[in-house]
Amino acid sequence: MSDAVSQGVKRQQRQVEWVGLYAASVAVALVASALLIQTTGGSSLAVFDALIEGSLTGTGRWGLTLGAAAPMLLVALGTIISARAGLVNIGQEGQLAIGAAFAVYISFRIDGPGPFNLVVLMVFGAIGGALWAGAAGALRFWRGVPEVLSTLLLVTVATQLTAYALGREWLLLAPDSVGARNNVSEQLAEDNRLPNLSVLGNQIPFAAFLAVVLALGLAFALARTTWGFRLRMLGKSPKAAQRAGISQTRFGMRAMLLSGAFAGLAGAVMFAGGGFQFSNFKFVPGFSGNIGWTGLLVALVAREKAIPAILVAFVFASLRTGSSFVGSTGVEARVTDVVEGLLVLALLIPPAVMFLRDRRRARLATTERT
Amino acid sequence: MNADHSELTGVGADAASTPAVELRGVTKRFGAVTACDSVDLVLQRGKIHGILGENGAGKSTLMKILIGLVLPDEGSIHVDGQAHQIHDPLAASKLGIGMVHQHFSLVDALTVWENVALGEAGRLDPQAVQHRIGEIGEHYGLTIDPMARVGDLTAGLRQRVEIIKCLRRDPSIVIFDEPTSVLTPEESMTLFASFRDVVAAEGRAVVLVSHKLDEVIAATDEVTIMRQGKVVDEMITADADAPTLARAMVGRDVSLRGERAAFGLVNAAAADPADVGTSDDSTPGDPSSPAVLSIREASARSPQGITLLDGLSLDVHAGEILGIAGVEGNGQRPLGDLLSSLVTLSSGEVRVSGEIVSTKTPGAMASAGIGVIPEDRHDSGVVLDMTVAENLVLIDPARAANRGVLDRTRLVESAEQLIAEFDIQCAGPDAPMWSLSGGNQQRVVLARELSYEPKVLVGAQPTRGLDVGAIEYMTSRLRDAASDGVAVLLISSELEEVLDLADRVAVMFRGRIVGEMARDAVDVEQLSLLMGGAAV
Repeated sequence: MSDAVSQGVKRQQRQVEWVGLYAASVAVALVASALLIQTTGGSSLAVFDALIEGSLTGTGRWGLTLGAAAPMLLVALGTIISARAGLVNIGQEGQLAIGAAFAVYISFRIDGPGPFNLVVLMVFGAIGGALWAGAAGALRFWRGVPEVLSTLLLVTVATQLTAYALGREWLLLAPDSVGARNNVSEQLAEDNRLPNLSVLGNQIPFAAFLAVVLALGLAFALARTTWGFRLRMLGKSPKAAQRAGISQTRFGMRAMLLSGAFAGLAGAVMFAGGGFQFSNFKFVPGFSGNIGWTGLLVALVAREKAIPAILVAFVFASLRTGSSFVGSTGVEARVTDVVEGLLVLALLIPPAVMFLRDRRRARLATTERT
Repeated sequence: MNADHSELTGVGADAASTPAVELRGVTKRFGAVTACDSVDLVLQRGKIHGILGENGAGKSTLMKILIGLVLPDEGSIHVDGQAHQIHDPLAASKLGIGMVHQHFSLVDALTVWENVALGEAGRLDPQAVQHRIGEIGEHYGLTIDPMARVGDLTAGLRQRVEIIKCLRRDPSIVIFDEPTSVLTPEESMTLFASFRDVVAAEGRAVVLVSHKLDEVIAATDEVTIMRQGKVVDEMITADADAPTLARAMVGRDVSLRGERAAFGLVNAAAADPADVGTSDDSTPGDPSSPAVLSIREASARSPQGITLLDGLSLDVHAGEILGIAGVEGNGQRPLGDLLSSLVTLSSGEVRVSGEIVSTKTPGAMASAGIGVIPEDRHDSGVVLDMTVAENLVLIDPARAANRGVLDRTRLVESAEQLIAEFDIQCAGPDAPMWSLSGGNQQRVVLARELSYEPKVLVGAQPTRGLDVGAIEYMTSRLRDAASDGVAVLLISSELEEVLDLADRVAVMFRGRIVGEMARDAVDVEQLSLLMGGAAV
């Protein structure tokens, strides 16, 4: 009984520590940003106002923020799956691009009713992402190539490959666009776009609902199913897992495929639209737009937990939608980039601090006891 | 003071020299635990001094104080009559105190001379180091090839490297912490013999920390016995015998065979016919019945091409304990790994109740009914970052689940039951595994493996690092399992443990079984020859 109480107290203490750490590190980032803006001749208050207006308070802005958050969250969920299995998949940017390209390719070649087309293009997106991550997985499990390297390097390959496809009409290039300045795909027909729900003057994209439902589902699956149990076990102790009949190759490969599928789905969702217009329903060069990288950061800040990732994705999306308003304050873009960077850093520091501390504690506890 | 003590100080007076080391009233507390309680210790030059005690008696803490790894709360340390504060190992080394640690701190990928030179300050002179290794080797009978890769050496040779590392600095006080845990009895005797010469000839003070009575009796001149942080007795070894030492060490008469074996009384355990009767209470396996576990001509290599198992064959019958004796590093670990589905055979087969079990399929051994208490529980026995309840269903979480969804209530209830049944000390089913002590983690492993009602139970070094109470618990559980009809395979580098528990003893050398005998027919001398690789 007293143990349960002391555990409760400990948990509360930890929560206080978390809040304190975040408050402190965000405060430091804000002060540093303010100093930077002031010394370069801008008004820090105006910048912060613009950030908040652009992400939340402006007309229709929080709907946009949700739209930007959805693909980030999807990418983060994929990252969480691979991380739980002990795999470091950091190539979401490329998996997302390939997934989007798959979705784009199929979307102009099917002619069913809108909802059917949407499902097909999202499934294709997921397959594309899964294949790209699967390539890294296959290298890892059958050739021993570290997935950290292969996933990262495949991002570059994905960029080249999608650029190639965008130059070919039989792949992604819009018909009759030879000689156009930029290679872009056709625009997705209105019937085939993801719907929005209007609430309080904001367009809440369907993708946001989808992402949140998937996040809740994943959280449940990880915590309460034998699949999640085995996945965690594989990540924490591959040998114990092997003894328990969990094949590292088979289970790890599946985790990798699923991880990529989430990134690919994110790409499909970005293409089929939502509140935040990533590229106006077209596939363009540089389509991924750093969403893959940001999603990776979301998973990192959320400490590989699906439910916190929902909130974290929203915060990162706010920085993105908010910063588009900062330009109007007359502050140099380079300075606002630094401000954005400082705020991201502020979110990354507390988990890092807690991680280091927990690890030291755990090590102390184990060495004391052996 | 008792007679033994006065005699001891008498020896010091005869030598007519200041003691090499004198500890007075040394006390060290860790929270509520007093690891050392006003300990007095006198080490004389030219003598081997044994420090005897159970696990947790404070031996290691005392030695750590002496080499500056732990600072005492109270008390004084005199080296050669001068008071000193030893703040760190560097200071200890300046005072001429060197220690050969129980666990090797060698880099496998480096050569012998590189390992010896490791941690030296200043310019590196390979020739000089190699020359010095040759010198030391010749002088002390510790010959070794300075160019050999440490990873290729046997445990005995690795220890030689550790000793050379220590002697290279020419320490006047040398501490050996449980040095024989990786050696055959033969090798131990050679080690002690060479050190007696060295000590006598060069006037060094040598400390032998041990929990094995035989060893202390055979190798030391004086002995200090510690119990619960206190020095309970000091004697001249020549005046002491095993029962006296054992009584002093535990604070009561030692009667249980298991306990005696834990202290290293091989011969006592082997010689007493009254005790053999205890194992007759269980029903030893009937050799004519088909074996439950049967391994035939099993061979395996590591991915690096090193031979792990080399045509190993063995049978374990229901209700018997087969003990695998042998010096560590002769394939015991791969054998345990094989039965944990962690090693794939290149040839040969494993059968359980006559059915072939694939060595390629993960988990096949566990689902065939082989329970394992692994040698390194952190490696494949438990997952430290998961909870106690989760660790108790690790092998088959589906047991606590309905169609893939875990049933929390069932998980917690079955965990609580096992925690009570196996007396696991923890904050509850949801306590993280890393918060448990080593002994309790081992109980979690034991509880889980037995709860799956295995046909075969493999205990790989099952009592390593446990204290006497926990050892007794573990050994009695293994005996119970055997008398319940489980085929028990005990893999242990503690010969005493094997002799204490096993109905049959098999000796492992270089990845194969080189000899086998019934417990009653065991000849310890022959056994240790087999362990050393001699053809018999």
